[in-house]
Amino acid sequence: MAQLAMLIDLSRCLGCQACVIACKAGRELLPGERWIEIREVVVGRFPDLRGAFVPHRCFHCAEAACVQVCPTGALYKRDGFTMVDFGRCSGCGYCAEVCPFHVPRIVDGRVSKCATCLDLIQAGQEPWCVQTCPAGALQCGPREEILAEAQARAVALRERYPNAQVYGETQMGGLGVILVLTEPPEVLGLPPRPQPLPITVWKGGIQPLSLGAIFLSALTSGIAFFIARRRHLEEKNGAFARSGKAQASHHPNRKE
Amino acid sequence: MKLTRREFLRRWGAFAGAWVGLSHLGEPVLAFLRSRSIRWPWYRSEEVRVTYNYCDMCMWRCGMRVYTVNGRVVKVEGNPKDPKSRGRLCGRGQAAVAHLYDPDRLRKPLIRTGERGTWSFREASWEEALDWAAEALARLRDQYGPESVAWFAHTTGDFWFGDYLPLAFGSPNVGKPATGLCLTPREIAAQLTFGRGLGGHEPVDWENTRYIVLIGNHIGENAHNTVMQDFVRALASGAKLVVVDPRYSTAAMKAHRWLPIKPGTDTALLLAWMHVLITEGLYDREYIEKYTVGFERLVEHIQPFTPEWAASITEIPAEVIREVAREMAAHRPRAVVPPGRHVVWYGNDTQRMRALFILNVLLGNVGRPGGFYIPRAPALDPYPHPPFPVEVAAGGCGAATAGIRIPDTPGHPPRADGVGTKFATGPVVIQELIEPMITGQPYPIRGLVVYGVNLFHSIPNVPRTIEALKRLEFALAIDVLPQEHLAWADIILPEATFLERYDELWVASHRTPYIALREPAVEPMPDTRPGWWIARELGMRLGLADYFAWSDIEEYLNTRLMSVGLSLDRLREEGGIFTWSGKPYLEDYGEGEAPFPTPSGKIEIYSEALARAGFDPLPTYEPVEDPPPGYFRLLYGRHPLHTFGKTQNNPWLAEVYPENEVWINEEAAAALGLKTGDRVLLENQDGVRSGPVRVRATPRIRKDAVYLVHGFGHRGSRLSRAEGRGASDNMLITRYRLDPISGGAGMRVNFVRVIREV
Ligand code: SF4
Ligand code: SF4
Ligand code: SF4
Repeated sequence: MAQLAMLIDLSRCLGCQACVIACKAGRELLPGERWIEIREVVVGRFPDLRGAFVPHRCFHCAEAACVQVCPTGALYKRDGFTMVDFGRCSGCGYCAEVCPFHVPRIVDGRVSKCATCLDLIQAGQEPWCVQTCPAGALQCGPREEILAEAQARAVALRERYPNAQVYGETQMGGLGVILVLTEPPEVLGLPPRPQPLPITVWKGGIQPLSLGAIFLSALTSGIAFFIARRRHLEEKNGAFARSGKAQASHHPNRKE
Repeated sequence: MKLTRREFLRRWGAFAGAWVGLSHLGEPVLAFLRSRSIRWPWYRSEEVRVTYNYCDMCMWRCGMRVYTVNGRVVKVEGNPKDPKSRGRLCGRGQAAVAHLYDPDRLRKPLIRTGERGTWSFREASWEEALDWAAEALARLRDQYGPESVAWFAHTTGDFWFGDYLPLAFGSPNVGKPATGLCLTPREIAAQLTFGRGLGGHEPVDWENTRYIVLIGNHIGENAHNTVMQDFVRALASGAKLVVVDPRYSTAAMKAHRWLPIKPGTDTALLLAWMHVLITEGLYDREYIEKYTVGFERLVEHIQPFTPEWAASITEIPAEVIREVAREMAAHRPRAVVPPGRHVVWYGNDTQRMRALFILNVLLGNVGRPGGFYIPRAPALDPYPHPPFPVEVAAGGCGAATAGIRIPDTPGHPPRADGVGTKFATGPVVIQELIEPMITGQPYPIRGLVVYGVNLFHSIPNVPRTIEALKRLEFALAIDVLPQEHLAWADIILPEATFLERYDELWVASHRTPYIALREPAVEPMPDTRPGWWIARELGMRLGLADYFAWSDIEEYLNTRLMSVGLSLDRLREEGGIFTWSGKPYLEDYGEGEAPFPTPSGKIEIYSEALARAGFDPLPTYEPVEDPPPGYFRLLYGRHPLHTFGKTQNNPWLAEVYPENEVWINEEAAAALGLKTGDRVLLENQDGVRSGPVRVRATPRIRKDAVYLVHGFGHRGSRLSRAEGRGASDNMLITRYRLDPISGGAGMRVNFVRVIREV
């Protein structure tokens, strides 16, 4: 099946957060749960300022670190997107640790990140966020076309934004979200060459645990649920020091 | 771009509808499943019922499709047929569902039992509450005359409580915040200059413009859906953008030039731009000759207003002023200086708006592609009713070119807002109806009906408002949420939200005139009632049955629709929207049709009407007071997820933006030893303090001003999420300068100092 992708054009995004709310509404997210976060970036000194809004959300890496570490198969790739099978998620939180963009969170014992509105796409519509964006900053379509469009836009924008460029063509094997940037990625808080967390760390410490989890979840998803529950409680008790960090980054992160 | 999106979506359509319908499982089971992260629609598409509505999350009124499954609204979307939403909604519109299911909603009629202001109420039946309210209103009417009751109304139900019931009742004192606290100076300036107001939807021809100058216009923070769409599209197709703002606003981020003007000096800049256009011969000579009067007077008048003169006032270099003027001229008539909204800044606002309009006229862009189109409204007959005993222009941002009456209707009770004495002309200004409640001048206002207006977050000088509320003999409040001012009412009637009710049709003055339908998606929450029903029940009890001759709301709407050959069913078939074709450009107007219905039939650059009334017939610059040492000018504005003081409690919106911050220039903050996140209080020139608020130290604002997002700092409400969050700008606006022409309340004349919270 053809690879799909989404486009985010930062030259158009007004930071209005309609996408944030549309996603929350359409995906019936829990209180406190959001799959898009709009980050505001302003650099320079008064009055020589440059600024942009950067929708921070799952970038749908082709070589997705989260998919690689997910012990239960809850995260998987399909048609260019990183999908989530919430029923399978054990809440272990490995994905949150390895994601080079720090996207996934654990909310109520389950992974929480853009699960892709593939159901809408299959029904002939666009994802909720794309449908509503008043600025027309978002699009969804075959990846090749999206990429070509992004490149054309970046070129056209050079007069206004000399640093206009495309992000996501190659990063992490190619992202399923292609961004048209108005500034270099590092200015906008995006890693120019994102790397997953050293895989050796994962192999040394985490993988044995995850193999256990796979085994259990293969028995029955019901058992996986209880594991998730226990892990969730462990997290609450501070067993995983990192969980605090994941929660903290949930808040809007403003850079100026 | 030629993405074959539709095609690819159609391809995918083959896989549609694979999920299992779960909606029959019932709400407890569904609630459990949702909490267990069932992330895909739990209903089948056949189960979804679509109804039509127009959004009430702000005053823009985007057309909506509302999706309901088993009596529960699950999602709203933009109505693709609607000329405003075009299938998209802003974040607030998307959060309409959370508004509907806000657990804090008023759920019972309430009758006061204790002191005003203490939230001492008992629950009552509708019957009892309505009888009591009607009796109190009738008593005031019979004893002191209908003008002794003021009616304040806002949001879309304001038709019933602003434009209908009060007029049947006979009171000319109908105030809407959209007038004196927002648009009045702009509408009067347009009326004087073009012979017609602009109406609620600024008729900017974004599609065709090539050069945009925003001055006091915060697109993106002001999230009016259509404007955001059009603005971004204009930029994407290559239009140049200049943003004049003391703040590096969202729009400024997109600009080719940002001119951080000294607050209060905008008119000087506008005059200097005219000076360059005229002295360098860059204006549209033909257009001026054909469509305007009074240009020669302007030529003379404009001489002293050189860019050098303006540079020293505005702190914008003279060269930049010249360059921008020349660029505007190079793009005319496809260059536009859009009028903002909320233009009540310094009390000289009608003149500033006149200056802005005349600048546009010099560019020859009014009624031309790339400038301003000429809006038209559909002509529907009202439901037949006896003539109203008073006729008054309450105006309002939704009003299509508000008819302006100067100052009273002879033979009717005069208005109490001081038109003709405090200010010259225009619709009733809400803030001037407070004084008569206290002083009894020109005559006492003893009763108040307040519908959907948060008295403490919209009307400046809150201590005065409280004083007035204490003195009222009777106050009735109709609302959806327990806003703080409701504590001061004698009776509270809980209204159904816009998703649960029919309402008056939305008759839009627009490029393409259209009407939109509002119909209930679900039954009102138990013991809440639609505004039309409340108005009718009150009317019947007030002996005004003749004005409510309709049997039910459907009959009312059908009768109105019949006058243009439509019906409710037909309107539904049409997708909730019906459009007519407009006449947007001058070329659409033939001989004998007046696009500019002024006394001269032309655009009045020089205003005889103003001259006669003793005002400057051509705009001039009046300096405004500077902040005293140690003080900042208080500026305020919008966040894209919030509207007025009414969305701060919305569960979803409060989650994303729960409280405002005070923007302080980072260097100014450092000089005060403050950094982002510190908690401070703001104290204004009169010693009034805000609640604690966090500092946002930022390069995005000048050093002489601070900025707050409006509508936060609810105190004394029963709003569980909004109460006590952030600081209220309106609490700090204890003074304002009245615009002597329009009665607009200039509110940017307050100064604050920053106090570290101890
Ligand atoms: S809806 Fe569009 S413009 Fe608004 S924040 Fe999201 S991407 Fe940006
Ligand atoms: S694609 Fe769907 S799930 Fe993902 S961010 Fe957009 S609306 Fe949310
Ligand atoms: S701009 Fe947003 S809140 Fe206002 S009417 Fe439109 S969708 Fe509703």
